[in-house]
Amino acid sequence: MPMSETFEPEIIAFVCTYCTYAGADLAGTSRLKYAPNVRIIRLPCTGRISPMFILKALQKGADGVLISGCHPGDCHFTHGNYHARRRWMVFRALLDFIGIPPERVKYSWISAAEGVKFAEFINSVTEDIRKLGPFEQYSQLIEQTQAPASL
Amino acid sequence: MSIEEQYRTRAKELLSGGAVKMVIGYGKGSTSDRRRPLFISSTDEVDRLVLDDACIQNLSGYLVSEGLLSDEKRVAVFLRPEGIRAINILAAESQLDAEQIVIFGFDVIGTEVKALKGIHVEEFSDVINSIKKGAPEAKEEELFEKIEKMSPQERFSFWQEEFAKCIKCYACRQACPMCYCRRCIVDSNQPQWVNTSSHTLGNFEWNIVRAFHLSGRCVECGNCDRACPVNIPLRLINHRMAEEVLGAFDHFAGMSKTQEPVLASFKKDDSETFIL
Amino acid sequence: MAKIGVFICHCGENIGAKVDCTKLAAAMGEHPGVAVSVEYKYFCSDPGQESVKRAIRDNNLTGVVVAACSPRMHEATFRKACAEAGLNPYLCEIANIREQCSWVHTDSDQATEKAMDITRSMVEKVKRNNKLQPIEVPVTRRALVIGGGIAGIQAALDIANAGQEVVLVEREPTLGGHMAQLSETFPTLDCSQCIMTPRMVEAAQHPKIRLLTYAEIESVDGYIGNFSVRVRMKSRYVDIDKCTGCGDCITKCPAKKISSEFDCGLGKRTAIYTPFAQSVPNIPVIDKANCIYFKNGKCKICAKTCQCDAINFDMEDTFEDLEIGAIVVATGFQVQNNTMYGEYGYGKYPDVINGLQFERLASASGPTAGKILRPSDGVEPQTVVFIQCAGSRDPSKGVRYCSKICCMYTAKHAMLYSHKVHGGKTHIFYMDIRAAGKGYDEFSRRAIEDDEAAYLRGRVSKVWQENGKLMVRGVDTLLGRPVEIAADMVVLATAIIAQPDAKEFAKTIGIGYDEYGFYNEAHLKLRPVESSTAGVFLAGACQSPKDIPDSVAQASATASKVLALFSKDMLEREPVVATNNEATCAGCWGCVLACPYNAIEQKDILDRSGKVIKRVASVNPGLCQGCGTCVTFCRSNSLDLAGFTEKQIFAEVMGL
Repeated sequence: MPMSETFEPEIIAFVCTYCTYAGADLAGTSRLKYAPNVRIIRLPCTGRISPMFILKALQKGADGVLISGCHPGDCHFTHGNYHARRRWMVFRALLDFIGIPPERVKYSWISAAEGVKFAEFINSVTEDIRKLGPFEQYSQLIEQTQAPASL
Repeated sequence: MSIEEQYRTRAKELLSGGAVKMVIGYGKGSTSDRRRPLFISSTDEVDRLVLDDACIQNLSGYLVSEGLLSDEKRVAVFLRPEGIRAINILAAESQLDAEQIVIFGFDVIGTEVKALKGIHVEEFSDVINSIKKGAPEAKEEELFEKIEKMSPQERFSFWQEEFAKCIKCYACRQACPMCYCRRCIVDSNQPQWVNTSSHTLGNFEWNIVRAFHLSGRCVECGNCDRACPVNIPLRLINHRMAEEVLGAFDHFAGMSKTQEPVLASFKKDDSETFIL
Repeated sequence: MAKIGVFICHCGENIGAKVDCTKLAAAMGEHPGVAVSVEYKYFCSDPGQESVKRAIRDNNLTGVVVAACSPRMHEATFRKACAEAGLNPYLCEIANIREQCSWVHTDSDQATEKAMDITRSMVEKVKRNNKLQPIEVPVTRRALVIGGGIAGIQAALDIANAGQEVVLVEREPTLGGHMAQLSETFPTLDCSQCIMTPRMVEAAQHPKIRLLTYAEIESVDGYIGNFSVRVRMKSRYVDIDKCTGCGDCITKCPAKKISSEFDCGLGKRTAIYTPFAQSVPNIPVIDKANCIYFKNGKCKICAKTCQCDAINFDMEDTFEDLEIGAIVVATGFQVQNNTMYGEYGYGKYPDVINGLQFERLASASGPTAGKILRPSDGVEPQTVVFIQCAGSRDPSKGVRYCSKICCMYTAKHAMLYSHKVHGGKTHIFYMDIRAAGKGYDEFSRRAIEDDEAAYLRGRVSKVWQENGKLMVRGVDTLLGRPVEIAADMVVLATAIIAQPDAKEFAKTIGIGYDEYGFYNEAHLKLRPVESSTAGVFLAGACQSPKDIPDSVAQASATASKVLALFSKDMLEREPVVATNNEATCAGCWGCVLACPYNAIEQKDILDRSGKVIKRVASVNPGLCQGCGTCVTFCRSNSLDLAGFTEKQIFAEVMGL
């Protein structure tokens, strides 16, 4: 990539269908404009978002990962998001300790009514990840998987 | 009478009266400083039991061997405090009935072996409580502190170097009393969540998943760390996780046999400072 | 071998103008496993759907991806079309390239590239979709209506008149809600009480309606057709079965100076009271906070007076557990507290009142028996200033939205005032006159032309007291000059807001709400009376500010939804449920604990002799709601969620 071009990060988002996905739809129906770097995977609930998804997104080459769902107390499934919050808390600490910067995996609560927050969140995260630059350390690992193992 | 002799006597009594069908303890190892697990079911063998400061392996994992406890008979086992905590977790996770387990509790302070009073797991709650109290103040290992102080990039490089050595032998899994799943996620290939090849990416994924699955469950017995043939300091990752669940949720693994798994429960006011 | 059909919708210009659909179709056509990749102007149209069906039949497609609007919009449409063409509907997925792509991005190339990723990811998912069959669950034919205002009463009556059971729960001691407080109603000026009280009585006496007043919803569990609801029956301290409603206790109660909530503080009530004379049921309650006995341990005059021994000071809250098939939420609204406008002097000057208080003054059953009298001295005001949008359409201090009813009731107030106070003058400060509705504009014109309401277009900046008058300073923006009016009374057309506990309550029942606390409908236009939770419907002002005709219409609409639900013996539910692989399950039971619905049970696997050889988790598909929390917990990867399986999500990520 030539230096003159700004780095366009690839970001994968995992969202629940009842709140954040609906919020993203609202951003659309409101015709808000935001950065095109994020690809959304829709899930029924944040409770369904497994840490494995985050690892696979990184393997797929994502420079950043977003996780978002209903605000505490608003979960369509009453408390899937509370379970999710605990897992993220732990998984975040784990990634940090392993050296995967927590700044690359962002979490938020975005409700079905928060189209504006969704658009702003996407923009701010895209900007943050752009500043961090490509996740080169992880890319190296991915590249190695394509090469024969060294002796 | 030394503790070793006391426990030999007790083992003999239990076996001869039929109170337990087996005693799992330590016997001599291949070298003078090594002990290997010993499975005794007759009184004749009791004198082969050894108890000294070299008895470090957590033997609790053998209890969940397929079929061992299914006849509802009791089994006795030599356990250090970590092993006793492991019994609580295995009981809380329905892997065994704590009533079936007769505990030969001991601890090693320096080189001195000390007996822990009690037979059933609930009798050791004071011991476990005092360890929990001491946990936040316990001095961290030097290497752990060094890693904590690194930048994320440095930490990544550190683990990259460590995990590059991993040969995916799964000795860590085999040695761990908590890795009792009939099928590990790494053995699931529909889909293949974890790259099974032992390239560094796959090794990263494997070790991350294992640490996550042990979060709030690891008693830091060190079995995995000692089992690792390439000396990856696995204990450090598990220690970080234990520290996290203790700090964030006041969860100390293996407090009681009815303790709720930390990742299957929640509090409405759990911390969420990191969520935007 | 997968044979996937990709159908790329232009949605007119909505997608087509931003995303290069031809390029997208070509790229998808090259993708492994894709048998058909076509574009069309409107796939949701009849010919569009027909073309999808034809493609399925002609090519024996094994899966369909429609790249179009949000799945929340047309997933059901296209799944139905697939089913009609003989393809299991769950082999159809939607790639959302409108709401989450063409509408939100400016650069055409970037939007096209993103649309490709989204569609490709969906193709990879759909290759791994399984044929699913809807799950059938039984329906409890009993509706719960929450809220006994006009909307709740209407919904309850409509359902009950169709022969179905209804439980009507009201948290106040009586039915009636806000409508019972009103004087006359626009645009016909019929008396609110006269049309309301018969309906209240009808609801109370209806053989199919069980009325629970002074009761609140404690918890709601379960799902459509099968809710378990716990209701807290607040202690009235009056035995509802013994009390005859004679009212002697009320007359004798010595605590007489309690501000009446029903009269908006303009009247007084006793400690044992019914909110108003026509209360249904006509059974008083004791207001514990103001009762002399509860405060001092002495009095009990009511108990001594009561001939029926109905007073019971030891009464405690009790609980009713109900099995319910459908829920109508009709919890209504509140009016905003106007003290936030310090410059209008509400709360400071007794003669600055709000619209609801004016209703009480104008009501024949109100504290002044229908005479318009100033609260401060009981004198008939000769000049009244009305200030509209006192809270509504004011993003800085009030709320952003229009409260919808204020224009009309202010015109009505001016009219009622001029009928009651001959020669009295009215001035109305307004922003716009919003009088859309049958007979509404004619009504507001009548206020101006027949009843000489003086409308001033502009805002009021300040109200202050001077020489016994309320001085109102504002601006007439049509004439472009400041105005000052010496008034005897000022009436604020307060904003309608959600109930103060609306958000908390939404969490109890598990429905969505907007930033103001009004409840969210499943679709503003096409599903306006359904909440996002199946089996829970919305009626009246809890959804948004509404007048009486709208509330009643919406209530009847919810009744038709409930009745449609009750017309079936079994309900079909989305088969998005968890399943467990018993062969690999380690039986740790973490899932049992994590499941929000107690849908996972412990199951023993026995050998031929009946001996337990293994204990595993087992998901009850009737109870499972498909959140997938258990799947994520499962360390051995034994649990999975139909429709969002591990394989599908893995493929979605890897397909990006």
